[in-house]
Amino acid sequence: MVSPINAALGGSILASRAATTLFDAATIAHRWIVDYCAHVAESDVLCVQGGDPAWTALFEELAALSGEGLANARERAQRHAEDIGTGFRIVDEGEERPWPLSPVPLLIEKAEWDGIAGGIVQRADLLEAVLQDLYGEGQLVSDGHVPAALVTGSPYFLRPLARLEPPGGHHLQFVAADLCRGPSGEWRVLADHLRAPAGAGYALENRLAMARTLGELPGRLNVERHAPFFAAFREGLAAACRRAEPRIALLTPGRLNPSYAEQAHLARYLGFLLVEGADLAVLDDKLYVRTIAGLKRVDALWHRLDPRLLDPLALDSHSTIGVPGVIDAMVAGNVVIANAPGVGLLESPAFAAFLPRLAEVLTGAPLTLPNIATWWCGQETERAHVTANLDSLLVAPAFGVAPLGLPEGKPVLGAALDPEQRAALLDDMTRRSQDYVGQEVVRLSTMPAIAEDALAPRPFTLRVFAARGEDGRWTVLPGGFARIGEHPDPRAAVMGEGMWSADVCIYGPEPVAPVSLLPSGDTTQLRRNPGTLPSRVADNLFWLGRYLERGEALLQLLRVLLGHSISADTGAALAADTVARLIRLVVASGAAPEPKGVKRADLTQLARTALEGEEDWSSVRAINRQARLIGAVSRERLSADMIRLLDAPFPQRGVLLDKAGSLQRRYSALNGLASEHMTRTDAWRFHDIGRRIERALSAIRFIRNFGGPDATSDDLSTLLDLMDSQISYRQRYLTGMARIPVLDLVTLDPNNPRALVFQVAAISAHLNKLPLLSDDGLAEAQQEQARGIAALLVTTNAQRLDDALLADLETRLGRLSSAVARRYFLQGAEPLRAAGLVLA
Amino acid sequence: MLYQIRHVTRFAYAEPVGFARNNLRLKPIHWSGQTLEDHALIIEPQGRVYPTRAEAGLANVVRLVVEQPARTLTIESRARVRVDRPIPIFADTDPSVAEIAERARASRDASPAGPAAYLFPSPRIPLDRDIAEWCAAELDPRRGVLEAALALALRIQREFAFDPTATLVDTSPVEAFRQRGGVCQDFAQIMISGLRAAGLPAAYVSGYIRTLPPPGQPRLVGADATHAWVLVWAGPQLGWVGVDPTNGIWMAGDHIVVAIGRDYADVAPIDGIVLGWGAQEMHVSVDVEPLELAPV
Repeated sequence: MVSPINAALGGSILASRAATTLFDAATIAHRWIVDYCAHVAESDVLCVQGGDPAWTALFEELAALSGEGLANARERAQRHAEDIGTGFRIVDEGEERPWPLSPVPLLIEKAEWDGIAGGIVQRADLLEAVLQDLYGEGQLVSDGHVPAALVTGSPYFLRPLARLEPPGGHHLQFVAADLCRGPSGEWRVLADHLRAPAGAGYALENRLAMARTLGELPGRLNVERHAPFFAAFREGLAAACRRAEPRIALLTPGRLNPSYAEQAHLARYLGFLLVEGADLAVLDDKLYVRTIAGLKRVDALWHRLDPRLLDPLALDSHSTIGVPGVIDAMVAGNVVIANAPGVGLLESPAFAAFLPRLAEVLTGAPLTLPNIATWWCGQETERAHVTANLDSLLVAPAFGVAPLGLPEGKPVLGAALDPEQRAALLDDMTRRSQDYVGQEVVRLSTMPAIAEDALAPRPFTLRVFAARGEDGRWTVLPGGFARIGEHPDPRAAVMGEGMWSADVCIYGPEPVAPVSLLPSGDTTQLRRNPGTLPSRVADNLFWLGRYLERGEALLQLLRVLLGHSISADTGAALAADTVARLIRLVVASGAAPEPKGVKRADLTQLARTALEGEEDWSSVRAINRQARLIGAVSRERLSADMIRLLDAPFPQRGVLLDKAGSLQRRYSALNGLASEHMTRTDAWRFHDIGRRIERALSAIRFIRNFGGPDATSDDLSTLLDLMDSQISYRQRYLTGMARIPVLDLVTLDPNNPRALVFQVAAISAHLNKLPLLSDDGLAEAQQEQARGIAALLVTTNAQRLDDALLADLETRLGRLSSAVARRYFLQGAEPLRAAGLVLA
Repeated sequence: MLYQIRHVTRFAYAEPVGFARNNLRLKPIHWSGQTLEDHALIIEPQGRVYPTRAEAGLANVVRLVVEQPARTLTIESRARVRVDRPIPIFADTDPSVAEIAERARASRDASPAGPAAYLFPSPRIPLDRDIAEWCAAELDPRRGVLEAALALALRIQREFAFDPTATLVDTSPVEAFRQRGGVCQDFAQIMISGLRAAGLPAAYVSGYIRTLPPPGQPRLVGADATHAWVLVWAGPQLGWVGVDPTNGIWMAGDHIVVAIGRDYADVAPIDGIVLGWGAQEMHVSVDVEPLELAPV
């Protein structure tokens, strides 16, 4: 439908956009709000505030951006989110981003927000006090304020940590909570997240995307910034450490974890080292990260593991992602773990029933931000209340573990149970009432979201974050992220995980000072050394180099094969022997099976498999996939452009030769980025060593196949093609193909960047610049081996370069690669579990 | 009765391993009805043994670190334990199953000796509807708790086949229950799962029973190896009472308690990691020899 306003203004909008946009946007925004408020319940955040200028400003920005088309605005926000997300989204793991971004942020006025933030701080202090007692003296239990079963019922109660004080004195450094807004505008707590609170990275990402979509809005509304919060968190964690300039690491469960990308993003943003359990080791109660320069102390871990898996020695012996001994290191005071293992016991829904009273007991004041009403059935009166009011309540597992009466393990509306389920539930509640809680059915207020092409009210919840700062006091992230339900049904229980997420803007009358995580110039000590390079990262970059170079070599083979053999009737065809050698090389690389014959169709089939074959063959596609996977776990070290190239989909269009050409251009671009844009750090050196070793190995294989004593001029020309040296040769020699000059050019000429000797020299140079473990001035194994290879090349000449020497060089290069891996990478020993029991 | 116990565990590795770190829970704890008179650990190759700082349950845990590479690791535990433990006798005045469940829920003791710690499913012993129903037949809420516990142990001993080939250390009680067979650990886990499902606190005990029976009595199942059984909490007066579902008897003068926990994970005699490759083999032998007869 064409709106009257648009019809009246006609084409003038397009003709002189600048002149009319503002008026137009204001009109559109006004109409959106009026239409929206005509259809929503009173509790909606937009309409309850009735004509709030902040919301008007928001919709004006949206209208200026997209005109009438709201769907267009949504798409644009989504595009920005994806664009930002490419820097840290996981490939090959399905959709990483849990919720698409809604372009309409949630606006909360500063005065209202201050109330929420104050409530969060009070709550965080209370939770810390409860933890201090439960893992300390245990007064709350012995005095009867907390039943013992409430503690022991939680799977996250870690008894080994009882009576041990966490270093720094605090159990909690970073907490999150889910809040809901009720029909009369009151905010309450749905759940606490303490073990390894996720989502702060999404809040950052949403803010970035929002700022790109609605660029003017933050300034117009004085929206509070995120950076001070993260700075406070970092300083708070550093302050808890013993050493003055602590090294802080973010411990991730690994790439397969669904929020790995968020973790990588946060690590990069906060300047923490991103590590996995295998990167860390404990010696003499101190925690170390394995780096290329040996073991380096780690003073604090921000972990994102199930805390039970942190230490296979002190906790779950089945853990393969933890660090053996890290709890000992923590207890000895040598490493701060945030949050301390064991804090998850307060996440039990059952605890919500006790917090109001604990607030009174421990702080003498009521909770300013109440929980949703909860009854723990482990007490007689409460169980009676829940069973009597089953139809109007939600029944949920008390400790997050599925009890026998709720086999799904999820909260259920009492009224929704069929008679059989109801009987089973009530029956189990007579024996194990402690496994259940009753909760009020929470009704959520709504906020505007874009459904189809119009604003629609949708229920939402809000996740907020708080971090302990340098002085030990809490800072609350101004904002967080909102989760928006898919359906209009306002009951929290049916909203589930939500459909969209939205940025949350805290706005106020005062302009906000610009702050960034970057410290100011005069307090920052200049550094040219980027710091610690974990062995795993070096390993990944090395293999990224090898795979990219391997892909390039295979492509080169295929292009030579396709270019010269398929167009057989044009006269450019190679001799059958040369083609046979090319085929042999492709087959030997494992990229494709032996072809049935050497007809054109056979060769096309061979090239097709080698280029885009799936699973079984190490085709270019498979090599690409490997490189992409490594790229995905090295995001914090690679530029956005490199990641985009690595993530680019496999070419779909054109004939084989076109695809090969397009891939080769991509590989060249990657090569160019690596050699021209990567800073000359140790990380780059490992990438380049990987490339050089692979390139040297390919060169030897090419030379052995096409440079032997019986090489034809077709062979030699092919060798020059494969080694990208055709032009250099023609410039030097006018005589046509001669074996010795070709061999000299591709093997021993130190000025040819494709020559074997050039790769070896580069590898030696890198190895001389990398850190050594001892300071005795002696060469390490990998250096000696590189020198040995260089010496062989220096002391030979093209006449003496026979197959035996080349074979020797190939073996030595393989050994050199292993020596580099042994010295610098994590490898070899895997932890084996010991279990000493034979049972009878 | 005074027992001399020798418990030897030998690991053999295909390739030399380095940097072994283990938790040893081999030294018997102090527990009612038994006194530890002497204990020694003999470890080859020699390693560093020190107490751990963080521990879960009722166990004497030490950490063993062997830094030099080794192909074998032998850990021998020698203990002399005096056991003098009466057989429980149940009476009409015993608290009922329902009373015990109620008291445990309301307990103000969260320590490892209190009932609340053993009231819930644990990592290796989940609650299971089939086990719960099968056990519930003996665990009527009005029945005396001791009578009910022994009846359940007897039923398990009667209806389950002792079959060392049926299960492994990692077999879940749900699987063992389905097979109606297994070894002491399976029977103990099934019984604990059933007791907990009925709301009763139940703990897992790792220990030994005497190898050679007194003259004229049958040899007990579970000798020559570490044994496992069950403790059930019978209220503040009676405290923890032991039942052995493998043999269908009370824990008494033939049982030596080594460690008590929620399940095997809390009491594993040896666990930990070594760094290495390839295969490992383990051989365990246990010898429990009575040094003198119990006073009559």
